[in-house]
Amino acid sequence: MRRYYFERTAQLVFTVLAVMTLTFFLVRLLPGGPADALRANLIRNNPEMTADQIDRRVEAQLNIMPDDPLHVQYLTYITELLQGDMGQSLSQGAPVTDVIASAAPWTIFTVGTAVAIAFVIGISMGALMAYREGSRFDSGATITSVLLNSVPDYIYGIIFLWILGYQLDIFPTGGRYSSSTEPTINLLTPIQTLAFVGDVLWHAALLISAIVLVAWGGWALGMRGNSVQVLGEDYLRVARLRGLPQRHIAFRYVGRNAVLPMYTSMLITIGFLLGGSIILEQVFSYPGMGYYMIEALERRDYPLMMGVFLVITITVAIGVYVADLTYGLIDPRARVDGGGSS
Amino acid sequence: MSKQDGIATAAEDSDVDPILRIRDLTVRFEMDRGTSRVLNGVDLDIRRNEIIGIVGESGSGKSMLASALLDAVVAPGITDGEITYHPPTDEPIDVLDLSEEARRQFRWEEISMVFQGALSSFNPTMDIRGHFEETLEAHGYPIGPGIDRAAELLNDLYLDPDRVLESYPHELSGGMKQRALIALALVLEPEVLVMDEPTAALDLLMQRSIVSLLADIRDKHDLTMVFITHDLPLVTKLADRIGVLYAFEFVEVGETEAILRDPAHPYTRALLNATPNLDAPLEEMRPIDGSAPDPVNVPSGCAYHSRCPLATDDCEREQPRMESVTGSHDVACHHWTEVDEIPLTNEVDR
Ligand code: SF4
Repeated sequence: MRRYYFERTAQLVFTVLAVMTLTFFLVRLLPGGPADALRANLIRNNPEMTADQIDRRVEAQLNIMPDDPLHVQYLTYITELLQGDMGQSLSQGAPVTDVIASAAPWTIFTVGTAVAIAFVIGISMGALMAYREGSRFDSGATITSVLLNSVPDYIYGIIFLWILGYQLDIFPTGGRYSSSTEPTINLLTPIQTLAFVGDVLWHAALLISAIVLVAWGGWALGMRGNSVQVLGEDYLRVARLRGLPQRHIAFRYVGRNAVLPMYTSMLITIGFLLGGSIILEQVFSYPGMGYYMIEALERRDYPLMMGVFLVITITVAIGVYVADLTYGLIDPRARVDGGGSS
Repeated sequence: MSKQDGIATAAEDSDVDPILRIRDLTVRFEMDRGTSRVLNGVDLDIRRNEIIGIVGESGSGKSMLASALLDAVVAPGITDGEITYHPPTDEPIDVLDLSEEARRQFRWEEISMVFQGALSSFNPTMDIRGHFEETLEAHGYPIGPGIDRAAELLNDLYLDPDRVLESYPHELSGGMKQRALIALALVLEPEVLVMDEPTAALDLLMQRSIVSLLADIRDKHDLTMVFITHDLPLVTKLADRIGVLYAFEFVEVGETEAILRDPAHPYTRALLNATPNLDAPLEEMRPIDGSAPDPVNVPSGCAYHSRCPLATDDCEREQPRMESVTGSHDVACHHWTEVDEIPLTNEVDR
């Protein structure tokens, strides 16, 4: 068991290092890559600067020192990353770490809410579909979820925005909250806090709905499949013969055993949260991680791009890690130590 | 036809005290190509505190009989006929006519069952104690004394109660799971335990040891057991009486001794002769020629005629009725008096 934890941890450390190394080489070594592009840019805009000054600027922004030997550069880069220094964002005029720190909570909030809603709708629908397997409700819901699931979320976003935002003017068309609202999260001023939270939800509602509309179908189909399988198991027949109440069977048997295998993908999805819905945030001009990813791409802001990329991949890696470590706690079948052998 | 005779024969056994009286029991499935009768007008009296072995090939209807005893035939199967349960003290109960709630209570409290899929009968994400507790709770039995009883049952089955109760199903071996399941079936102190191929998934040694435990359990708990299997040698070690099913009907019913020494039905003889000796594993059995009939298209006359060495034209035309061989030994065969023409090739030994 201890060996298992050790292996998983080593795997995580290795993944994170690999991702960091990858970004290092992408930034530093690609011909015509970020470093060259940045230097050219600086020279063009600041003809008065000496080569030395330019190098220092490049170093500040990309966390590299072009003249140092490669391994020194690499060590410096990794050390600074580990200290939370991801360089300077060109487009935002602020440290990449600050930009990400201000964007991440919004993406976590919107996508987290969306995934939670989609998950609840999905597993409820999936279980219902499984219970009525073969009914018209089942086939109708299956077709609906497949159809909704096969259209990218930003299409819904654009439709929502156009109808509910621009045509009917019911929802705002961009931003995190109204400019007239003071961001307030304070238990001592509940009215302002509520107003602020309401305003935030109002701004995020369409974006969240667009994600939910696509995502619930996937969970529903997964849940349906798992539930149909559990419903056909011998132990379910025995449970019924033992006279267990329907509710108990639905939750403790079908629900639990069908959801458990989805736990891992659930955690990985949460890992992907930070990547957010890149295009969707753009559609709604919602300044989250995805929004800055596109900003960075458009403005060739390599440090920001690499920062966002790093944070997303590392979060996914951590999501998988947590899933691996905790799965045994929630599903006794996966426990490695198996106390039964004597 | 066979039905009337069945009742007549049963009436002769008026001195026996049946706990279950089965009359004209039919299980059918309506299918596109016709009605599939997987149990066809079966009569049987199960006596209080006996162990009765029901033997048949796969597809003989024996599993349906097991399910029907708890009125648990899976949809879209339709169960007709009569099953009367005689509790030790109260009024008889018509099993096939219970309300949903009454049936829920009846199952497991009066008649309980160990399934063919015994090894997958436990919820994989729940420990064994959880299974006992939820069962007790669903039937309104107090948990504390119930768990004590479970522990005692597990102990009687040579399991370590504390360890087994805390284990998850996958942590137990097949034999342990099987015995834990028997304990679970008995935790509400039922009168009847139906077992459908309870040992099929276990190795030979484990099969024999479980069978020997069952006899002790029966004595200790005053149980009636219905042991359903395709393994005739196995059940002779345990059963007081044996019923042989062929093509969804009983062809012979009698004391184990009589079935072994004077089998009156050609099919029973074929079953006995198919086993090199009664202690050999079933895998060494020589298969019986021919195949089991199709439930949609049961042959006319005696269903066994295409495989029977004694078959005559009569057999093809007319279905044989249940007749009494001796006291409580019944057979359905036109030519049972000539059955000695099929010699028994094995030494019979219990
Ligand atoms: S009735 Fe005829 S065919 Fe059937 S078992 Fe007896 S002898 Fe064989």
